[in-house]
Amino acid sequence: MNFRFLPVLVAAGDDGEGRLAFCDDKLVAVLVRLSAVHGQAAGRWFLEAAFGRLAGPTHPTFASLDEAQAWIEAEVAAQSLL
Amino acid sequence: MADRKDVSPPHIRLIAKLEAIGTVTEAEKAALARLPFRLRSFAENADLVRQGDAPPECCLIVEGFVCRYKLLGEGQRQIMSFHLPGDIPDLQSLHLNVMDHSVSALTPVTAAFIPHDSMHALTREHPGITALFWRDTLIDAAIFREWLAGVGRRTAKTRIAHAICEVYLKLRAVDLASDGGFELPITQVELADALGLSPVHVNRVVQELRAEGLIASKGRFVTISDWERLKAVGDFDPTYLHLRNVAA
Repeated sequence: MNFRFLPVLVAAGDDGEGRLAFCDDKLVAVLVRLSAVHGQAAGRWFLEAAFGRLAGPTHPTFASLDEAQAWIEAEVAAQSLL
Repeated sequence: MADRKDVSPPHIRLIAKLEAIGTVTEAEKAALARLPFRLRSFAENADLVRQGDAPPECCLIVEGFVCRYKLLGEGQRQIMSFHLPGDIPDLQSLHLNVMDHSVSALTPVTAAFIPHDSMHALTREHPGITALFWRDTLIDAAIFREWLAGVGRRTAKTRIAHAICEVYLKLRAVDLASDGGFELPITQVELADALGLSPVHVNRVVQELRAEGLIASKGRFVTISDWERLKAVGDFDPTYLHLRNVAA
């Protein structure tokens, strides 16, 4: 699976810094870095929106982009088996 | 009730709750005040009743706040309602034997457990009380309809403003909120689980409501700074709560 992030600005209140996540050149998720208003969660990456196989009610946060990538790839791979 | 000094706190809560939604005669109050109960305390997050249980008694909330919820796949939780002192969140167990959801403490809770047998006897002897309990379950259903409309069709901001309006009026109806201020027992994570949002979204919206001067908060104490605008943002019409004597 070919994975890449693309930096982007997101209109999400104080949380502006974002990444588009692509799997095999298809947009699967938008991640946003949480600002100081989120207290202990500040600095974490929030799954703001997800598409296709990742779409659903789950919106986790991740300590790093590496962690986010690992989660996204695992979710996509797991659901590919169905 | 002419003289309340002999009435125990659980009975006072229950009578206040029923008076908030209807008329309770002196004879009915006396009968309610004779209901037997045993008090139990629960820590925050403890379950009072669990899905699958077939309880022989109902739990009347005396102190603290509880929610009804279901656990879903992948550890997700959907909160379906919030309950305050005076509420009997598992009243349905009188007639639906097996719990189809759980009841959990959002704060430290004291609950009075009343045997079903006593509740059945009370409702047989006092049709007026039966009607009040029926009215209460109908109001529950009205609240569920309102929440369903919110989860299905309202924006995050509207849902959150609406929820704050609802909790405020319900607290005021049982004298647990002063004009414009109250102790909000619900965390942002719990609000997220109730409204089908992520905690991040809830936090963003709460910050927005604060910045716009609709609410202020210090710890768990919430002040409603602009009730009219909060109601407007929350698309909030209190009719569905069917409360008496609450100027909204």
